[in-house]
Amino acid sequence: MDNEVYSFALKTTLSEIQNICPEIKNAFIFKEDGEIIATDPQTSENIAVRVIDAFDGIFEKADSLGDVEGITIEGAKGRILISSINELYFATIASEKAEPNYVKTVTKVLLPTIFKLLEKLDPAQQEKPVGHSLEPREHNQYPHFDNKKSLSEEPEEPEEPEEKQNAVDQMKPTFEPEVNASLPEATANQFIVENIGGLLVPSDTVRVDNDLMSNWTETYGNTKIEEVEIETFGGKTVQCKVRPIKDSKYEGKGIVQIPEKIQLLLEVKKGELIKVKPVIQ
Amino acid sequence: MVKKRTAQETTTIGEPVTIEYPVASDDSIRRNLEQIKMEDGVIGYIMRNAVSAAIDLSDPAKMIDYALLSSSAFDASEELSSFLDLGELKSIIVETKNVKVLSLNLKDTKISVFAEKNADFNRFLKKLTS
Repeated sequence: MDNEVYSFALKTTLSEIQNICPEIKNAFIFKEDGEIIATDPQTSENIAVRVIDAFDGIFEKADSLGDVEGITIEGAKGRILISSINELYFATIASEKAEPNYVKTVTKVLLPTIFKLLEKLDPAQQEKPVGHSLEPREHNQYPHFDNKKSLSEEPEEPEEPEEKQNAVDQMKPTFEPEVNASLPEATANQFIVENIGGLLVPSDTVRVDNDLMSNWTETYGNTKIEEVEIETFGGKTVQCKVRPIKDSKYEGKGIVQIPEKIQLLLEVKKGELIKVKPVIQ
Repeated sequence: MVKKRTAQETTTIGEPVTIEYPVASDDSIRRNLEQIKMEDGVIGYIMRNAVSAAIDLSDPAKMIDYALLSSSAFDASEELSSFLDLGELKSIIVETKNVKVLSLNLKDTKISVFAEKNADFNRFLKKLTS
């Protein structure tokens, strides 16, 4: 079964769960390493990434006490539930009116059923990557996200069935290296802002994954990339120097380390999504 | 005059660990926690506020693991509560393969109760919030 069909099936399931439980505002499925498998139509990438990022600490600290099977955060105005299903995690963000046992029943019955059905239809699907990952991919397959996607938390309009297939088609990665001699046009990748500071840290230099920098060098005619252009979804752009990330704990996390000075210029802060494009000289 | 704060620490290999720093003013919370600790399946608790901390765990080898898990649960919930507008935090429950943790904030005191997965956390929550 095609990855996109698998993802579409899960997205549709999440959408239907929201139809059954309208109190569920956001729902998405992810792996422990942060890879997002599917989100409902109303959940933006930003929300899913922020939630996964926030829980990263719990997953890490719980390692010695056994795998995380569930997390529930109960607030006066809403709740978050994370459930472990078939080596994946299902996250729901619901209003205070949502009945937790009802939500758990729906998710613990419906989702496993869908997973089993998909597994029956294509057992090999379980080993294939499905979602778009925050980690570096092989052979320049960095995801190129639709520039229209907004960081706004406002829910998007549900898509019509015929439009869903178009959306699925648009999910195909478009970032591919060209074989001929001419250099490909520089494309932007999305990353999450991470802080960087310290006495010896230059305030005019951002840091990205070492693999990404090697990737750029290979793609753009073995040109060493010295600078990047950072653009926010609000339209602010800054060109600055770039270096590889030094701290191994940030590698493969889909983050860009930005000094405070540049964050202030861009009016962004830690956890927000921005676009980074290499400057080819 | 300089006030000296003394820490009473009792640690014996293989036996439960209790660490206390005085100046605690949450007597009712402590009493409830002590009662909860007597329940079946309860491993212990961690209680801390700006001026005091108490750790009472029957499994001292994992004290640091429990403390780190408790701390990260509070950090995650504070961040998400603000980001997602969840309102005032009522409780956090983290369930792993081997242990379940109930964390909540009472009178500016952060409390985490650790127990086996089949323990009755609803009762613990009611007792602590009563």
